Amino acid sequence: MLFYILRRLASAISVVIVTLIVSFALFFLAPTDPAGVICGTRCTPERIEAIERSLDLDKPAVAQIGLYMKGIVAGRTYTTAGGVVTECPAPCLGYSYTLGQPVTKMLADALPVTLSIVLGGAIVYFGVGVFTGTLAAKRRGSTMDKVTVGTSLLVNSVPYFVVALLVALYATVFPPAQYTPLLTNPWAWASGLLAAWMTLGLTNAASYTRYSRASMIETLGQDYIRTARSKGISERRVVYRHGVRAGLTPVVTILGLDVAFQLTNAIFTESIFGLPGLGLLSIRAFNQYDLPVLMGTVLLGSVVLVLMNLVVDIVYTFLDPRVRLG
Amino acid sequence: MEPLIDDPALTGKPLSSEPATPSKTSPNTAKGKSPTRIALSRLRRDKVAMVSLGVFLFFVFVAIFAPLLAKLEGQDPTTFHIDLVDDNGYPTIGITGDHWFGIEPRLGRDLFARWVYGARPSLIVAGLVTVITTIIGVTVGLIAGFAGGWVDRVLSWIIDFVLSLPYLLFAIAVPAVLLSIFVGTAEDADAQQVARVRFFSLILVLSVFGWASLARLIRGEVLSLREREFIQAARVLGVPTHKVLFKELLPNLVGPIIVSSSIALPTYIVTEAGLTFLGVGLVEPTPSWGLTIATAVTYYRAHPVFLWVPVIGITILVLALSLLGDAIRDAFDPRTRR
Repeated sequence: MLFYILRRLASAISVVIVTLIVSFALFFLAPTDPAGVICGTRCTPERIEAIERSLDLDKPAVAQIGLYMKGIVAGRTYTTAGGVVTECPAPCLGYSYTLGQPVTKMLADALPVTLSIVLGGAIVYFGVGVFTGTLAAKRRGSTMDKVTVGTSLLVNSVPYFVVALLVALYATVFPPAQYTPLLTNPWAWASGLLAAWMTLGLTNAASYTRYSRASMIETLGQDYIRTARSKGISERRVVYRHGVRAGLTPVVTILGLDVAFQLTNAIFTESIFGLPGLGLLSIRAFNQYDLPVLMGTVLLGSVVLVLMNLVVDIVYTFLDPRVRLG
Repeated sequence: MEPLIDDPALTGKPLSSEPATPSKTSPNTAKGKSPTRIALSRLRRDKVAMVSLGVFLFFVFVAIFAPLLAKLEGQDPTTFHIDLVDDNGYPTIGITGDHWFGIEPRLGRDLFARWVYGARPSLIVAGLVTVITTIIGVTVGLIAGFAGGWVDRVLSWIIDFVLSLPYLLFAIAVPAVLLSIFVGTAEDADAQQVARVRFFSLILVLSVFGWASLARLIRGEVLSLREREFIQAARVLGVPTHKVLFKELLPNLVGPIIVSSSIALPTYIVTEAGLTFLGVGLVEPTPSWGLTIATAVTYYRAHPVFLWVPVIGITILVLALSLLGDAIRDAFDPRTRR
């Protein structure tokens, strides 16, 4: 078990390191002219040179990646043209070209927004999906079952950004979307995110209805369910105690992977509802050629994805003893 | 842009395949038919699939004959009708005989012409990406599964690596880098040039991130097929490896390939429109539904047609393609035999 976890951990770290090197090469070693971006339109060659020196862009490629990695682990210092030394404590991802803020701080501000959207949405779609899916499985073949399956198929096929856009424009029942930190005002936090939660939740609930329906139908056909019924246990107890417990294990696994996926794909929800999360940050950085911020979001995104995959894999080995470790 | 299932090259191939195939078919219903043949005949009986196919072909038709349709209306997608727009930018006309869907606020371009031309980038980008990812995915999957050993280990690591990257974030980041390399970050960059770089970088990004899941699927299939008797026999007979790969293995993989590409096509249409809507995909002057939707958001109350025309277009197209994809998957899945 320990060996398995260590091996998965090693492969996860290798993925993150390769991502870092590949994206660093893409962003900073390609002829992207970051100094020109910082300097603006009225710029002298001397000024560009000074900026390049202060960002260590004049150093060889390997040294630059080394400095970047050292910044993440141990922090680094920047010396500006005037000789002013700026301390950038670990984990240092550099400074935004256009805003001058540390990238780490910008990411730390954006992450809670994305987390709130994705986790709140996950609660909605998991709850709704499992509930309707179980109901549909219990009454398999009934009109209600057919309507549920048909609706979920339709909802799944409509582009998500179109649904989110129409909700944002026309569903005035929701309080206006905005982000307030949870600890500042829990009520404002919840009401400002309600529209995003409902959109994300109800569109994704469709797939969870299908997953839990399929899984429950399989579980309810098992021998031990028949045994439980034959012992005279009430139907409700059979379904909810014996069935749901076993039937939901695969659904929970999908949930873990979905949450990881959505953490890096909340861009549509964030930009349509104007919530300042990671996605909106990366779009803003894109429009301003703010490479350190883009690099930071990509790096954070891959760390989150790799970590969640790792957690799901490890949790799954505990949940399902049939998974072979090898 | 013909649908994959109607391609005679694909449907014909399995007939020449090996004796192992009929074991998959059920002996009493369809003797001697290849699985692909059975799937196609099931698909032909599926009403939803046929209606969806019709809708898809309609959009392909619109895209191909966009200039003709615009000419029929007597308009084109780039002319500014400033005279039909009032001082606040709102159009002074609604839906008329000259402008079938009305005109755009502010610039006054004809909406019908922009709508028919807008079907093009969606279908071209999604179609190209589907073809590219299918070719790369199948090739890598075949090689990884068949070669085994260190080749397989390296390719599998790359597949896992690509699958664990945050691809939407890369889809935003990579065009930024490509733009600054090829066009520069200057404000006065040539709009045509920018549009072209954006177009190709979108295809590049979607292709780079799209092939891996198919490659993993094909690799798994090949791993199990490779031990079958007909492959062993071919190798003993001294058939060259590339012939074993493409003449013996590939025909057996037609099912999963068709299913995965028919499911991929609508997702790429959505991704293209979505990224364009966010402002990180295609840009003006390319007429694209995503762009129209993004602009129309500002005018959604005063001028709802502007928003709804592209929204309905993309929704119906994607809906039809998803339903078609589901139907194709069911048709190829022996467990859902009807």
